[in-house]
Amino acid sequence: MSDKSANTPTKTGYWAKVAQDGNKMGFWFVLPTVLLLVFIVVFPLFMQLYLSVTWWTPLEGTPWYMAWEVFSWGENYWYQLTDPRMWGALWRTVLIMIIAVPAQFFLGMALAYLFIEKFPGRKIFYSIMLTPMMIVPAVVGLMFYLLFQGTGPVNDHLGLPSNFSWLTDVNRAMISVIIADIWQWTPLMFLILLAGMLGVPSDQLLAARLLGGSNWQNFIKIIVPRMKTVILIALVLRAVECFKIFDLVYIMTKGGPGVQTETISVFLYKLTFAELEWAYVAAIGLTILFVLSVIAAKGLSYMVKKDK
Amino acid sequence: MSSIQIRNVTKRFGDFTAVDNLTLDIEEGEFAALLGPSGCGKTTTMNMIAGIEDLTKGSILFDEQELSGTRIQDRNIGFVFQNYAIFTHLSVYKNLSYGLEVKKVDKGEIERRVKAMADRMSITHRLDQPAASLSVNEMQKLAIGRSAIVEPRIFLLDEPLSNLDAGFRAYMRAELKVLQHEFGQTMIYVTHDQIEAMSLADKIAIIDQGKLMQYGTPLDIYNSPDNRFVANFIGSPRMNLIDGELREEKDQLKLMVSGGAEIKLQGQVKSEFASDGKVQSGSFGIRPQDIYFGDQRSDSDIKMHGTVEVLERVGPKRLAYLHVLETMFIAFDDQDRLKVGDKVPFYLPSEKSMAFDLASGRRLGGVAK
Amino acid sequence: MKLSPSALTLKYFFVLLASAIVLYPLLWMVTMAFKPYPEWTTVAGLTWFPKNPTLQNFEFIFYGEAKGLVVSLDRTIVGPLIASLVTSICGTLVALVSGTLSSYAVVRFGLAPMLPLSVLQLRLFPPLAVMIPVMVMWAFIGAVDTWWGLSLIYGIVTLPFAFWLMKTFFEEVPVEIEDAARVAGCSYWRVFYRITLPIVKPGLATCALFVFILNWSDYLLALMLTQKDWVTLPVYMATLTSAMGGQMYGMKAALGIIAAIPPVVFGLMIQKHLVRGLTFGALKQ
Repeated sequence: MSDKSANTPTKTGYWAKVAQDGNKMGFWFVLPTVLLLVFIVVFPLFMQLYLSVTWWTPLEGTPWYMAWEVFSWGENYWYQLTDPRMWGALWRTVLIMIIAVPAQFFLGMALAYLFIEKFPGRKIFYSIMLTPMMIVPAVVGLMFYLLFQGTGPVNDHLGLPSNFSWLTDVNRAMISVIIADIWQWTPLMFLILLAGMLGVPSDQLLAARLLGGSNWQNFIKIIVPRMKTVILIALVLRAVECFKIFDLVYIMTKGGPGVQTETISVFLYKLTFAELEWAYVAAIGLTILFVLSVIAAKGLSYMVKKDK
Repeated sequence: MSSIQIRNVTKRFGDFTAVDNLTLDIEEGEFAALLGPSGCGKTTTMNMIAGIEDLTKGSILFDEQELSGTRIQDRNIGFVFQNYAIFTHLSVYKNLSYGLEVKKVDKGEIERRVKAMADRMSITHRLDQPAASLSVNEMQKLAIGRSAIVEPRIFLLDEPLSNLDAGFRAYMRAELKVLQHEFGQTMIYVTHDQIEAMSLADKIAIIDQGKLMQYGTPLDIYNSPDNRFVANFIGSPRMNLIDGELREEKDQLKLMVSGGAEIKLQGQVKSEFASDGKVQSGSFGIRPQDIYFGDQRSDSDIKMHGTVEVLERVGPKRLAYLHVLETMFIAFDDQDRLKVGDKVPFYLPSEKSMAFDLASGRRLGGVAK
Repeated sequence: MKLSPSALTLKYFFVLLASAIVLYPLLWMVTMAFKPYPEWTTVAGLTWFPKNPTLQNFEFIFYGEAKGLVVSLDRTIVGPLIASLVTSICGTLVALVSGTLSSYAVVRFGLAPMLPLSVLQLRLFPPLAVMIPVMVMWAFIGAVDTWWGLSLIYGIVTLPFAFWLMKTFFEEVPVEIEDAARVAGCSYWRVFYRITLPIVKPGLATCALFVFILNWSDYLLALMLTQKDWVTLPVYMATLTSAMGGQMYGMKAALGIIAAIPPVVFGLMIQKHLVRGLTFGALKQ
């Protein structure tokens, strides 16, 4: 070896010792991540809990640590249960989820099926298919904002008058948002499902065909069951992301008309910046946190159980 | 049950010709082996019969009926894959019933046939277990059972024994033979193992570089190979093949081997070499077990002198490596008398010797069939 | 096996249809960026390819004014472009460094077994549900509308991706290689720095690009934690209208193109690893 100092621990001092001890070095390696986690999870959690039981708002100039002066007990938590706007936003978020995610799933599955076998141009089409999910969501919002203008191309193609509005119409605004979400995220489903589908051993598929199974029978009985885990991952991933939906909606409709496309995220955003009800937002946020954690924990333990 | 006709089939992958103008007739109920070194095109041939690969040229017929328009699903072919392609996410039962279920066979009927097949393959105790938990040997049985249960027109087996351990392979070889008799099914079997082919098949097709080298019964192929490739490929230990130039000196036809050794041709093999006047260089073939030591048994036998270089024990017998200048003959030392370093005479019986044209590989002198 | 001609035709029909649907909105925005004002809407008839192609939309966003336009801009794209670049890169560095180090410690030394899941839960919750304390904290430490404040939050929210992605790359490095180096007398640090890190270099590059895409694509965090100086591209793009009153489709489209290009280019570069990245390493292609 050219570098003798590497072989014999001639260096002394703390860092030389760290380099010789896996556990000690590991400690320093995990430290940044742990610090970031503590910084963003532990401290804010207590602060959020604290603020959520006050009437505090940044408007009045009271520093946040003095929020106890406007202590509210559980009023915020009580109020959210009967807040029709909150329930409406929750319902609309779920609505987008239960329409967009299955649509993305079925479209993604069908697309993936087209791409299993090689065909001329497959690579190029594959890249084209992936493009939407790589575009900045805000830009996708802009794209569909442009498309769905009264004087935009969609109305023109459909032969509709320019006062036929999409984004400012009570029902069609939601449809536009869902279409945009499906457009952007079907590729993600496609990508993941295709990877799963290609993982199905091709000789088993061949064996199924030789046994006389039709393409559809083999798809349902061989391909889909073998992709169970992949399908689950794809659905969970999309459902989680869909629940957070903000950029698309906010850029296309700002939650409007009225509250017609107000999702949970848009609702919280407006509460934070337009109404400045920070304590109330903290309470709702904490409730969401709690509910999602329970769901996630249940889901995880269910999956662990199934693994065994 | 069907007969299969392969007519002038060619398969190209780009510039590479995998199968070259292959014609083969396999009769109903026959067990045919496709034998050849790896990459010779035997698996491609089988895939074309199954419909997995398209033909570039030619046609394949079942019972004289053209197959080209028929989808894989409708060919009704039993195919046993090299790695079995068991549906590992399903139970053993579901694996067996798959081919019946997709044909919408009546539930009770399915159960009856699955039970019967499981009994036949002796995997009944495994029926409810996931197929992934089976041993390799059981998977092999399941793979055959799964194909057999749909009563296919023909059976294709792609190196089905190559993944098995040696003991079970011998057992399965016997079992396959029994099964074939039981099913009475036309079977095509791809293998690179000549012992498997020789012991199982009614007929063997030897393929090299996409071309059919010879098609016949195992004995036929062993005793009278059509060409140098088959002669060299079949038999263990391999046939002695001595290449050299043919020269006639003073009425004596000789094979001059590079390195200086020469074989003075006699009797039948001489007339075989002489039968085609145009041949310049030839190949002299003799199986090790036909070479003998001691007293000359017939006038027409060719006498050689060689030095024993190595003696190798193969089972009860010993293989002797005999050097004649730079040429090596392998023979069986059946009398256990040789010692390394001995200079001994040995004899090549001319009726058992074979003559090949080195340029084309063709067997010379009107093959005696 | 080849498909029958009719099946192949059907396949191409669907693939082309899907491609058309994918390209339709994209094409409208891209051509919009090169159209002059009269062609922005379909009032005077729909035009896909600009009749009078122009670069004035780009000129306008870069210089704040353009020939033939009466309006002008106070803020050009330059500031937001730099802001996006700086914060995305710095955020990527934060995520990459902490994610790489900690995932290595978890994979090799089995430290902090709860860390992977704790990190993962950062992605579970809607950011808006937990933003109140973050905004209070950021205001408290003076991080609002600074490059480091935004970079820090970027680093934190993309840490799960960096952590899980690097974890899968480290898991692929055979432990025997490291053991061999250890036996030869290398210290743990030297093994990591001289042996393992060079092996996972391609993974590191993939991970960096992937995290950069995520940071670059952010809209919400920048919307909440910046006000003026460090406004990023997507926020700038969205506010362009409100600043000028009238609709500025062409300029917005031009901005959209500029914002969309880096992620698409990088995304196509790391295509092979996208599945791994997006599923936190649960699936590989």
